[in-house]
Formats: sequence, structure tokens, C-alpha cells
Amino acid sequence: MPVYQFNKRVEPMNKHKHITTSAKQRILSSPYIWAYHLCRLLLGLVFVYASYDKILQPHAFAVSVFNYLVLPDGLVNLVALTLPWLELLLGLCLIFGVWLPGATVTATGLLVIFLGLLAFNDIRGLDIHCGCFSTETTEGPAGLGTILRDIGFLAVSLYLLLFVFVFRRRTEKFSQLHS
Amino acid sequence: MKEKNSPLQQALLQVPLLMVLSVLIALAVNHWRERPLPLIGDWSVSARLADQEGNSLEIGLGEARQLFERQAAIFLDARSRPEYEEGHISGALSMPWQDVENAFVNIVGQLEEDRIIITYCDGENCELSHDLAAFLKEMGFDDIRVLVNGWTVWRDAGLPIQ
Repeated sequence: MPVYQFNKRVEPMNKHKHITTSAKQRILSSPYIWAYHLCRLLLGLVFVYASYDKILQPHAFAVSVFNYLVLPDGLVNLVALTLPWLELLLGLCLIFGVWLPGATVTATGLLVIFLGLLAFNDIRGLDIHCGCFSTETTEGPAGLGTILRDIGFLAVSLYLLLFVFVFRRRTEKFSQLHS
Repeated sequence: MKEKNSPLQQALLQVPLLMVLSVLIALAVNHWRERPLPLIGDWSVSARLADQEGNSLEIGLGEARQLFERQAAIFLDARSRPEYEEGHISGALSMPWQDVENAFVNIVGQLEEDRIIITYCDGENCELSHDLAAFLKEMGFDDIRVLVNGWTVWRDAGLPIQ
């Protein structure tokens, strides 16, 4: 009789455990997670790539920044020096998955600012070079294509933001609850 | 187990940290690089028009006018072809920056060595004339000036146009 009781007590626990593991596995292998990792790597590489030429060519990049005609002259060089390093740090954070809350917020913020500047200068008819990925003027002037490209990156960044702030937190809570 | 900070709390700490970190790295790297960028640059028109030796390419309206009257200068219009056709400095040649190489081939014969070349476009921040001047320097012409905001100042001064 005691054996029977022992078995009976154990059985539902096993069952319960079995269900949670498979639910956890389901979450971990869901397409959302894969999309998240893919977006993280993609956006990270984009930012690292974007920083490379600007870090090597600070003088040329300063001219690009100046040509946007939005910053007071005194701030142009400081922004031109700092922005590429911020992009590099962001890119590395995204690629290696560290400081993701801060990195996704900053990345989204930057992309929104870039989009605003591109649209602003496009509307007021300023014919300038983007200076987005290269300080070379062979890249051609910024236009609708550049704006659409930025919107694409922004969509990726918003997905990451949503994932890090909402979805991942829910998953963490879920696994804490059931482990 | 210690409760993890919410993503928002983490972000509030990480965003400023990322900024401070990039400023510090940027300043340090700039400090030790071969040709540092001055932290506060001089972006005035005359400074931007200076060549590598620091000589300004800018020419004033008065001086440009004297050269025009003595026929000692050739004016090159760096704006687009339609803008040139709408109106330009009297006697100026069209060398639209968008198609500079073809335009250069077409009019290089008319550029005389002993006359000063004055490039112009329109607008205080127009870079076309500056780009054109730099291009001509590379092509071996030494005596080049830029008349900043050229079309507007020339027309507003009531000087000859066509």
C-alpha cells in the first residue's frame, strides 16, 4: 500500500515536469527567437560596417556631418568623432548579445534621428551625400532609396526592441515560474 | 535568487554608459592619431574654401568684378545645365558638376592659361563651385577662385548677366 501511494504521488509531478519542458522547448525553438537572433546579428553587422570607414576618415566624415546643415558649427566635429564609435559599440553589443536593452533603445533612437534628418533634407531639397556607410562621395546623393533603407533597418530595430522589452521578459518569467 | 532589473531600468543605465564610453574612446583615439581632428572645427565659409596650405580660394565680389571688367577672368558656372540656361554671368561657360568630365573635355580648349578661373554656383552653402575648383586644381589649373553664392550676389549687384 505505501508503495502504491508513493507512485501515485510521483506520477503527476513527472507529468507536470514533462509538460513544462516541452513548452519551454517550444518557446526556445519558436520562429520568433530565430528571427530575433537573425535581426540582432544583421543589425549588429550593419552598425559595425557603418562605423568602419568613418572611424578611419574622421576629416571626411566631419564634412558629411557639416553638410547636413543641422548642427551648430561647434558641435560638428564632436559628433563626427563620437558617432562612429557609438555605432561600433552598438554593433558589438548587438552581435554578442550584451547590454541589449540599452543597445536596442540607442539603435532605434539613432535610426529614427537618421530617418528624420534624411527626410528633412530631402524635403527642403538639399542635395547632399548620405555619409551613412562611406565617406566616399561616389556613394551618390541621399534620396528616396536611402530613406527606404533606413526604414527597413528601423523595422528590424523595432522588432528587437519589442522582443527585448516585452517578449523575452515574458519568456523569462514563464521559465522562472515553471522550473 | 535576486530579482533581475527590468529591461527599462537596465536601459536607463546602459544608454548613458554607451554614450559616455563612445565619447571617451573617440577622444582618446583622436588624441593619439596622426592627424587629429580639432574638437571644435572652423566651418566658416572662408575656412571651408581654403586649400590644403590654408590659402583661401574665396574671391570677393569687388575683385571678381574688376577681373570681369578687365576680361582677365573666365567664369565657370557649376550649376546644372537648365539653371545655366535660365540665366548666368555674362560670358560664363557652363561646367555642370553633375557631368563635369564631359563638360571639361568640351570646354578645356577655351580655358586660357593666363586668365584666372572663377567658379560659382548659387547659395551660401552650395558646394558645387568648391568641388569644381578642387577638380580643376587636380587637372593642373592653378589660378582658381570661388565666388561664394556667386549667381545671387552677381545678379543682385546688377552686374552683366545673360
